[in-house]
Amino acid sequence: MAGKSGRTISAAPEKAWKTTIFSWEGIMVCIFLAVNILCMCLSPNYQLKNVLREMPKYLAEIFLMFPMVYILILGDIDLTVGATVCLAASLGCLASNAGLPMILVLVLMLVVGTVCGFVNGLVLTKFTELPPMIVTLATQIIFRGIAEIALGSGGSVSLADYKSFKVLAGKVGIVPYIFFLVIIIGIIFAVVLAKTTFGRKLYAIGSNSVAAEYAGIHVQKIRLIVFTITGLMAGLGAIFLTSVLYGANTTTGQGFELDVIAMAVFGGVSTAGGKGKMAGAMISAFTIVCLRIGLGLVNVNAQVILIILGVLLILAVMLPNIVTMVKNQKKTAARR
Amino acid sequence: MKEKNGFLKKLSGSRELGLAAILIVLCIGIQIKSPSFLTPTSISDMLKNNAVTMIMALGMFEVLLIGGMDISIASTAGLAGMSVGLLLKYGIISNTFLGILLGILIGIVCGVCVGLVISKGKVLPIIASMGFMYIFRGFAYVLSGGQWASAADLGTFKDFALTSYLGFGVINNVIMIVIVCYIIFFVVTKWTVAGRKVYAVGSNVEAASVSGINSDRVKLVVYTVMGMLSGLAGVLSVSVYGSAQPNMLYGQEMDVIAACVIGGVSMNGGRGSVVGVFLGALTMAVINKALPLVGIDSIAQNTVQGVIILAVIVLNVLTQRATDRKNLKGREM
Amino acid sequence: MSDYVLELKGITKIFPGVKALNNVQFQLKKGEIHALMGENGAGKSTFIKVITGVHKAEEGEMYLYGKKVDFKGPKDAQAAGIAAIYQHVTAYPHLTVAENIFMGHQIVKHGFVQWKQMNDEANKLLQRLHSDFKATDEMGTLSVAQQQMVEIAKALSTNAQIIIMDEPTASLTKNESEELYRIADQLRDEGKSIIFISHRFEDMYRLATRVTVFRDSQYIGTYDVDKITNADLIKAMVGREINELFPKPKVKIGKEVLRLEKLTRIGYFKDVSFSVRAGEILGLTGLVGAGRTEVVESVFGVTHPDSGKIYLEGKEVHIKQPSDAMELGIGLLPEDRQKSGLIMSWGLGRNVTLPTLANYAKNSFLDEAKEREVAKKYLEEVDTKAVTIFDPASSLSGGNQQKVVVARTLAQDLKVVIMDEPTKGVDVGAKAEIYDIMGQLAQKGYAIILISSEMPEILGMSDRIIIMCNGKVTGELSREEATQEQILEFAMEKSEKGGR
Repeated sequence: MAGKSGRTISAAPEKAWKTTIFSWEGIMVCIFLAVNILCMCLSPNYQLKNVLREMPKYLAEIFLMFPMVYILILGDIDLTVGATVCLAASLGCLASNAGLPMILVLVLMLVVGTVCGFVNGLVLTKFTELPPMIVTLATQIIFRGIAEIALGSGGSVSLADYKSFKVLAGKVGIVPYIFFLVIIIGIIFAVVLAKTTFGRKLYAIGSNSVAAEYAGIHVQKIRLIVFTITGLMAGLGAIFLTSVLYGANTTTGQGFELDVIAMAVFGGVSTAGGKGKMAGAMISAFTIVCLRIGLGLVNVNAQVILIILGVLLILAVMLPNIVTMVKNQKKTAARR
Repeated sequence: MKEKNGFLKKLSGSRELGLAAILIVLCIGIQIKSPSFLTPTSISDMLKNNAVTMIMALGMFEVLLIGGMDISIASTAGLAGMSVGLLLKYGIISNTFLGILLGILIGIVCGVCVGLVISKGKVLPIIASMGFMYIFRGFAYVLSGGQWASAADLGTFKDFALTSYLGFGVINNVIMIVIVCYIIFFVVTKWTVAGRKVYAVGSNVEAASVSGINSDRVKLVVYTVMGMLSGLAGVLSVSVYGSAQPNMLYGQEMDVIAACVIGGVSMNGGRGSVVGVFLGALTMAVINKALPLVGIDSIAQNTVQGVIILAVIVLNVLTQRATDRKNLKGREM
Repeated sequence: MSDYVLELKGITKIFPGVKALNNVQFQLKKGEIHALMGENGAGKSTFIKVITGVHKAEEGEMYLYGKKVDFKGPKDAQAAGIAAIYQHVTAYPHLTVAENIFMGHQIVKHGFVQWKQMNDEANKLLQRLHSDFKATDEMGTLSVAQQQMVEIAKALSTNAQIIIMDEPTASLTKNESEELYRIADQLRDEGKSIIFISHRFEDMYRLATRVTVFRDSQYIGTYDVDKITNADLIKAMVGREINELFPKPKVKIGKEVLRLEKLTRIGYFKDVSFSVRAGEILGLTGLVGAGRTEVVESVFGVTHPDSGKIYLEGKEVHIKQPSDAMELGIGLLPEDRQKSGLIMSWGLGRNVTLPTLANYAKNSFLDEAKEREVAKKYLEEVDTKAVTIFDPASSLSGGNQQKVVVARTLAQDLKVVIMDEPTKGVDVGAKAEIYDIMGQLAQKGYAIILISSEMPEILGMSDRIIIMCNGKVTGELSREEATQEQILEFAMEKSEKGGR
């Protein structure tokens, strides 16, 4: 039964370069460049060598951002990642100090993270009535609370066998290992999101979870998987954080969850779900890291950076809204 | 769907009673174990130490009622507290009331900012308030310039939390303010048109706009009130703890949200009451106070608190499901 | 002074992309019940919202008692004595009946809301309407009919002289409808003017003295009810003779494909048994809330039946989730396209291919070129009015959105296609096209279940008709023996108790 009217519908995709340049990701690249130029003007010390040296401190957070992008695209939120990092790092350090071999310590940290993520996912998928915000708020308190109990009255642990961990903080030339790892994992997450059926399903669920279910997508199974992966990545983040901090305390990873969400949102990922790309989030993450390093080099208080971040975050979300509002007003005005 | 809502409402109608019963049982249990618990000084201490959460919970209740969220409140409180602490430290002001008033004003300004971005800028509440959380906290640090105001710097300001101007002895000024706030909110939410408008917007935004309620304005006012209460809570905490630091009350927003949720305020909007919030905040306070008394290590307090919150919300869902099932079975066919 | 309490002239209302009202007019006399009729999407609801100040018309004038008025918002209309009872009840489910009635005009003394007085007043109003519930009941616990009563009480509480009822009988049982007629008569006798929107001819005959018809956003005419025939009225509404609308082809009916045996989901439906055969269109009808949608949702795996069996081609099947149903060859086109059918922000192409992603993937990597090709093929096959497959679904009209859902069905390997209210919110022209597609699907050998509340559609398209009432199957009629009256009788059986 071919179309009666003989009408044809075009299936040719738009020119790729056009959409790339005018997309949010295109703007992000410009902002990234602008930030780097600004930093270079501000400080003569803003050189590749120094930037890369400073970077590992900030990169552990980026591990958490990858799965957070997935979670936000699903229309969910996870406030536990900071607490999971804290728990994994604390237990890892304690186990290492108790004489567990390095390799098992690493496995332990990954497992702890994965279990935390799985618990979140399980509660959220078994009780779909509950908003993720409040569930992860509760589990966040619990995870950090367990770390507090484990760390005891001192509230901190320093790694006795820090030499083994130091290996992880090694470099190839001037580039730290972790940098490569971040890029590789980032690309994997980006490709899965953009090119696979799994990625497409994430967008479908975030755009309209009811319609996704009607289209035969296993919504709850996918949510469980994503929350579990988030836990795993938090475990990985904990490993690398430990490799630069040589220890853990009750405030390790505090505020990570919000930093990470801010990075993703600034990179064009909507907390309402269904929108955003990994590329944007990655550029945004590196922009923020560079900004922090650059302003740190000229001794700008770290707290001023907080203000800048906050303003950028709000503007990034509000500007597109205002633009569409003005456009709509013009449209209706033109029609009258 | 309609039937569900009905049962939920009935449940929450009895919910305050249920919570009160749990609270009483809890108190009696603790009292048997530790007779020093229910003494006027002990209660006064407990209320004073939880005043900040209790006051902010009122604002959060309204915010949650309209289906919103505000995680900037701890930063707002920190900014207000820090500013007033510094003004006192450098002797720019010395009057206690002026200090409190300034704190409230700063809170209002912060609240208006958050409210405008959410209502006019159409930014999701969680994102908008996250941005302002950074901004206000950043301002607090920048203002402080690495300084903090100690008890000595605060002068007579810290006495405010220790004395009672009205001569009620253990019911000191801070507790007095908490009580007054709760009375005002109870009256406003129940008996004024403005208070009912908030419920209307929370229950059904579309219906509200059809009946001519300006939901944007309601949102703005709700976030402004939230800011005002945060500012007040900020300065009070300076007086209670006798110091002002830029990172004061960090993470407090989570306690506040938890108090509301335990008190039966729905995260989806439309449901909740001042009495519930009061009981929720009180339950949190009693648990915090009681854990060391019954021999649970203070180190485990957070964990227990988290478990309780999780248990409460899961229990809610389970009872809801059970009543739904019963309801369906009873349906005539 | 004009004869009319309310008169509108040359009203045009534009929404981004569509003219919802095009130069329409309307006159309402004092103490009359005036029916406003037209197909879904004819612009009736928009028109009502213009009268009540919710929408502002781009062009046109409105006169109240002969004086020109210009409402800035709903408050102005309310103050002028106009009240509306909307189709989707605009209630506050968490609040009490009294508060629902008085929201926006509470009784206030010294700044305090007077609850006792409000409850008393509300109870008085409810008594006047012979309601069986109290002012302090929760709105959310009431049945749809009771909530409608509250809305009427609300209109009375504002002392409105003009009351607009937007499809008030759509989900009411016979008794409840009678109750509503009585109230409408009572209000008219009190001198109030009523605009009554309905799909049901019986409502119009029972109540109205005059009827105004809209079609495709335009004003068609105003007629005296006792002077116009049924056929002429349908022609005015639809724009063509009714039998032209249903081009049902003769299809040879094959073997049984799907059979339900005593399917029960507690609280929703009980002991539902029926079967559908290849090439057959099975009409499933009944009043809103009879449990039709709930039955097919259980078949499709969205919800789970508590007992009963489902057989596909003679074999018992266990469907846990929609993906199971699709794998077995059962497809559902849900009633609410925007909520459960399509992802409105997505392009058409991706909407078409979503359930069949695995077909275009190698090692779960998507072959997008292939995907686009398939989407294009099926979208063209159902003759979708679109420029590219990247157009967002939200940019299409209701009828074309429905075609996208059908295209998606074609892309799957299905045996049974369940269509839940496929022409809801679809304009007349597109309706005929969808019926056409439905007929072609039957010819291709699909077994089709058509759920619909629209009598002509059920009568015109079905080979066999199953009627449900209050969660149970109450009747089965063949195409030849079915009449509107018979169906209504089955549909209202046993539901006389009302309220759930």
